[in-house]
Amino acid sequence: MSQTEEIKTDAASEKEEDWGEYLKGYYEKPNSFKTWSGLDTKEIYTPKDFDAEKHYKEKVGDAGQYPYTRGIHANMFRGRIWTKREVVGIGSPADTHARLKYLAEQGGTGLNTIADVTYEMGLDADHPWAANEVGLTGVNITNIKDMETLTKDIPLDQVSWSLITAAPSAVATMAQYIAVAQGAGFDIAKLRGSVQNDPIHFGYCGFKPASPLDLAIKLGCDIMEYCTLNMPKWYYTTVNMYDLREQGITAIQEVAYGFGIAMCYIDELVKRGLNVDQFGPRFTFYVACHVDIFEEIAKLRAARRMWAKLMKEKYGATKPGAMHFRFAVHTSGCSLVPQQPLNNLIRVGYQALAAVLGGVQSLHCCSYDEPICLPTEASHLQALRTQQVLAYETGVTNVADPLGGSYYIEGLTDKIEEKVLEAMAEIDSVGGMHEAIRTEWLDRKLEDEALLRQKEIESGEKLIVGVNIFKSDMEKETPLGVQRVAPESGQQQINDVKEQKRLRNWDNLMVAMQRLKDDAIAGKNTLPAMIEATKANATTGEMIGTVREVMGHHYDPMETIESPFTFK
Amino acid sequence: MADDRKIKAVITKVGLDGHDRGAKIVVSLLKEAGMEVVYLGMFNQVEDIIQAVVDEDADVLGLSYLSGEQLIFTPKIVAEMKKNNLDDVLLIVGGTVPVEDIPLMEDMGVDRVFRAGSLSSEFIEYIEKNIKK
Repeated sequence: MSQTEEIKTDAASEKEEDWGEYLKGYYEKPNSFKTWSGLDTKEIYTPKDFDAEKHYKEKVGDAGQYPYTRGIHANMFRGRIWTKREVVGIGSPADTHARLKYLAEQGGTGLNTIADVTYEMGLDADHPWAANEVGLTGVNITNIKDMETLTKDIPLDQVSWSLITAAPSAVATMAQYIAVAQGAGFDIAKLRGSVQNDPIHFGYCGFKPASPLDLAIKLGCDIMEYCTLNMPKWYYTTVNMYDLREQGITAIQEVAYGFGIAMCYIDELVKRGLNVDQFGPRFTFYVACHVDIFEEIAKLRAARRMWAKLMKEKYGATKPGAMHFRFAVHTSGCSLVPQQPLNNLIRVGYQALAAVLGGVQSLHCCSYDEPICLPTEASHLQALRTQQVLAYETGVTNVADPLGGSYYIEGLTDKIEEKVLEAMAEIDSVGGMHEAIRTEWLDRKLEDEALLRQKEIESGEKLIVGVNIFKSDMEKETPLGVQRVAPESGQQQINDVKEQKRLRNWDNLMVAMQRLKDDAIAGKNTLPAMIEATKANATTGEMIGTVREVMGHHYDPMETIESPFTFK
Repeated sequence: MADDRKIKAVITKVGLDGHDRGAKIVVSLLKEAGMEVVYLGMFNQVEDIIQAVVDEDADVLGLSYLSGEQLIFTPKIVAEMKKNNLDDVLLIVGGTVPVEDIPLMEDMGVDRVFRAGSLSSEFIEYIEKNIKK
């Protein structure tokens, strides 16, 4: 049958009522005038909304000027385009290295590796719970050899590397990275990059056993302190507001809870006698960009202004760098759906645009298959290309804060600041962040909000194409294929780790582990001892486990294995 | 099943996967739909999950996956269910899984897979209509 005949046949079978929905569609209005986080918006914002000149002088200011509402640098992207940094973590350290190299060859500008669940939990690859899961969601680094494989032939003193280990095991990551860099003859003072190191938040990503609050603050701040004193170019934390947001909270709560956690670390660093002007300039954040473009831009601007004020007024910062809200954006994984998956490309594009218009320093775009599987090589490349189209074709790099002065954006920035202050006051009213965490107030808050978000979708209050509007039959296959992790990839690493443990010099290891234990008991910073222990072939699980025991926790977060060491 | 008895579901994460937002939402929505729900939380081994299904005399077992471990753990769950004669328990999977894995899991013995983005009306209706006891 020819195509023309086919169309005729279809047309003949159509009935008038089939067009009913279509005809209604012509007159359709938006189903809501609220932002994604539920803020009411007005029909139009005008100069009457505020005294523009006074407002600009008091609350906004130029980019590069306090309170940095419009950006932390005067010339923003003219000085340097944001870092195009796609997250990589798949299979073995060698598999991950290969994908890193591929993306670097395609024009990525920052290396970025993520720990798998076993590494985040602080489990060695040969831990009984790890057997089925090594390499499924990231990379496991058990010992120095794994880190050598991951970093092979990469000039560590020249690249910028973001190490995404958030949990207390971030201290092992830092020790392993430093040990390898020193072993290769690099000056660690020259290392550039970041470690995520936000162990408090990690308890809210489903990993409570790995992140008891005292251990989280102790080990998190050990990294922060060590890097402040020894690695001036290194960003020693990336407080992860993104993961909190992904639990289902609003843009407002994201900033409030993120700041609450950030202040737990800052209070501890101040307690340790560090000067806020000294450590402040290397404090960074990881932020979500969800799909409501204007709300996200306003959130980023409000966060920048609020952080500057907080650091200046609460902590007494005087150096501009210590007041800068420096952040990476991860586009919102939870906004992406497997239904009609190519739509995710568009969602990510809008979210990346919001990040850039909000003045981002470093960006990860989700691949379109985020709600399906780990990214395939093709989808990973597509995510990088999304950034490159934005950076090189659209003109967004020309002007700092191009939406500054928009009546709506300025009004929404003020509104979000006001609401964040209310949310922070709510935390104070339950006794502050420590209490909010200890009493599980924060857990309940996150759970309640997640359920509300789902109900907004169920009721149609929030629309998602392919989910509750314009639905279609389930696709037969994933458009660019499915990324699998070869089972032998994890198994190989498990075997290697067992072999490494068998071959190492136990006496040397014991000397290093005894020092680590002694330092932990003495309340010293544990990172120097961990660097030496790593060089003596201690593993992630052994180092974290030993400090856990000193602090009164079970050696193993899964409470399955015991410490192999007999200490003096 | 007798009309006066509520449908009883055991919902769980499997292994180390800590992404529990979806599982907890499903637990709340099933409860609101009038079912009795036992949520096992995170960090459960296959044997413990099956023991809970036996102990609770559950009608439904719901597994939540986000970390790509569905093809590793599901066959182990199915085998353990067979060993315990749990053929009359409805086995459903929810989470982040590729469409390509759905027929594979159905062949293994999963009754139904609900991907991310599924609405509660879909899975509540499915459970109510397909309960085996």
